[in-house]
Amino acid sequence: MTDETAAPEAPPQDSRRETMAYLIGVAGWIVPGLGHALLKMWGRAAMCFLTVGLLVILGAEMRGNLFNSAANDAFDSLGYLADLGTGTFYLLAKSLETNGADVSHAGGDYGTRFLATAGVLNLLAALHAYEAARGRKA
Amino acid sequence: MNTEMGIKLGHLQSMLLFALLISIAFGFLSRRRPIDRVKYIVWSLFLFLLIGVGIGWAMYPFSH
Repeated sequence: MTDETAAPEAPPQDSRRETMAYLIGVAGWIVPGLGHALLKMWGRAAMCFLTVGLLVILGAEMRGNLFNSAANDAFDSLGYLADLGTGTFYLLAKSLETNGADVSHAGGDYGTRFLATAGVLNLLAALHAYEAARGRKA
Repeated sequence: MNTEMGIKLGHLQSMLLFALLISIAFGFLSRRRPIDRVKYIVWSLFLFLLIGVGIGWAMYPFSH
């Protein structure tokens, strides 16, 4: 009698594809657009790179708040997670924002939103690349 | 726009820039054909601006 409760073992090809999809997702997070570039989706790759890059540069130049690991409350932690979503562009934002954040004016506040949105947008793009690599319709 | 001490943008300029960049990103991620992308970008941008300006006016009475 066969054990019907046991899950069928995934074929090696599916397992390999899943690993590749995971790596592509991570690559897309580390360098915005790289995940799509690896899938030869050039338009999406260029747009991810440009939009996330522009949001990060504008956010940093507007002296938005770039959160760090020393969070004071839950909102700071969430902001840090969102900012980390930009991958290596987090370091770019840090290097651009030499004068530190200034949220005493509207521009700085907008800059904070630009930086956080860049991160979340990049995470969305990385997830999209992961799904496309798995063969889901994208 | 002043680049000497960082970029200084007004409320409307910031909102326009934000809406435009996000609309482009959404359009490219969610649609495949160029014409569908353009339609999506224009529609998304319009809704961003409509809702943004709408919320701005809705808050206006409370600012006095």
